[in-house]
Amino acid sequence: MKLILSDKPLEISTQLGERSAYFDLSSMKISNCVGCFGCWVKTPGRCVIRDDATMIYPCIAESDSVLYVSRIRYGGYDTVMKTMLERAIPVQQAFIRIHCNETHHVQRDVVPKRAVIVAYGAVDEEECDIFRRLVARNAYNMCFESYDIIFVVESMVNETVKQILDKWEKS
Amino acid sequence: MGKIMILNGSPRAPISNSKQYAEIFARFCKIETVYHNITKTNHNELCAGMSGFSDVLFVFPLYADSLPVGFLDFLKTLENNPPVNKPTVSVLINCGFLEPEQNKVAVQMIELFCRRNSYVMGSVLMLGSGEAILKTPFKYAAVRAIRNLAVSVADKHYNTFNATMPLSKKMFCLAANIHWSLYGKKFGTTKKQMQTMRIEG
Repeated sequence: MKLILSDKPLEISTQLGERSAYFDLSSMKISNCVGCFGCWVKTPGRCVIRDDATMIYPCIAESDSVLYVSRIRYGGYDTVMKTMLERAIPVQQAFIRIHCNETHHVQRDVVPKRAVIVAYGAVDEEECDIFRRLVARNAYNMCFESYDIIFVVESMVNETVKQILDKWEKS
Repeated sequence: MGKIMILNGSPRAPISNSKQYAEIFARFCKIETVYHNITKTNHNELCAGMSGFSDVLFVFPLYADSLPVGFLDFLKTLENNPPVNKPTVSVLINCGFLEPEQNKVAVQMIELFCRRNSYVMGSVLMLGSGEAILKTPFKYAAVRAIRNLAVSVADKHYNTFNATMPLSKKMFCLAANIHWSLYGKKFGTTKKQMQTMRIEG
């Protein structure tokens, strides 16, 4: 499965192939994670907040290719994408394992994935560098086998996404 | 004489470990501290109030390798509503993993915020094994580091510290997994149930 998560609407509906899912997070109702650990200790694998995030994190887990489109803020994901990524912790267990010589949470049934992140709104190279380091850390916790980060100006987001989807279609 | 504003950026601030860390900081701090939870509705009030302080200490947990989104939103409000007098910014961040270095990117994000908005960066404490450390015999490691942080901020001898449980990775996994099994038991959930591989299933 291929998954596209974006923090702004994209003009891509005609390009979506079979077994693809696209979510415009900006149009969805997704509350902040409240840090209750319910998805680990009360209802394992299920978030206790029953909003639109519960449709999305199973897709994140199932996908072998993900494309995340997000504005960058202070070198990290801005609010819309970050809110969703925090709500995706039901895909992990509370339990800790050693992974790549560091301690990390055990994953549930999460498919290893190739990730492409289209990052827009970065102000300078320093911010891009911090974001690169963040995605490198995410790779350990979000089961990225490989990843590409593409920094663009906001006006180029649609064009860039279309090119990536073309590549996906041909591969 | 300075005065320190402590802001808790944990999503579960009133019952958070960050609150306990803030309390330890206040206990060891030689100068006055004022504590607030960051909530969805008090951003403007906190930004305006910041002017009266020589220092601010942000206390928060690592969420998805970076800043919790509620705290990120607070920083965005602060950027748009800067206090007249900008305090020096210090950070106490904790993660549930053994390695305090896993907090580093989040600290770099705060440093970037400070540079962009002309705040002086003060001290940093990165805590590992933060979820459970205060309930273990290794509490001393966290308390000692927080005391060092408090002294450094009060004396304006800003510095960077880190602390974690003095355990091997293997032993830490074992200890953490016992902690989580007992946590689940409180809610009637067995270890096997917590280990389900199913998601929304």
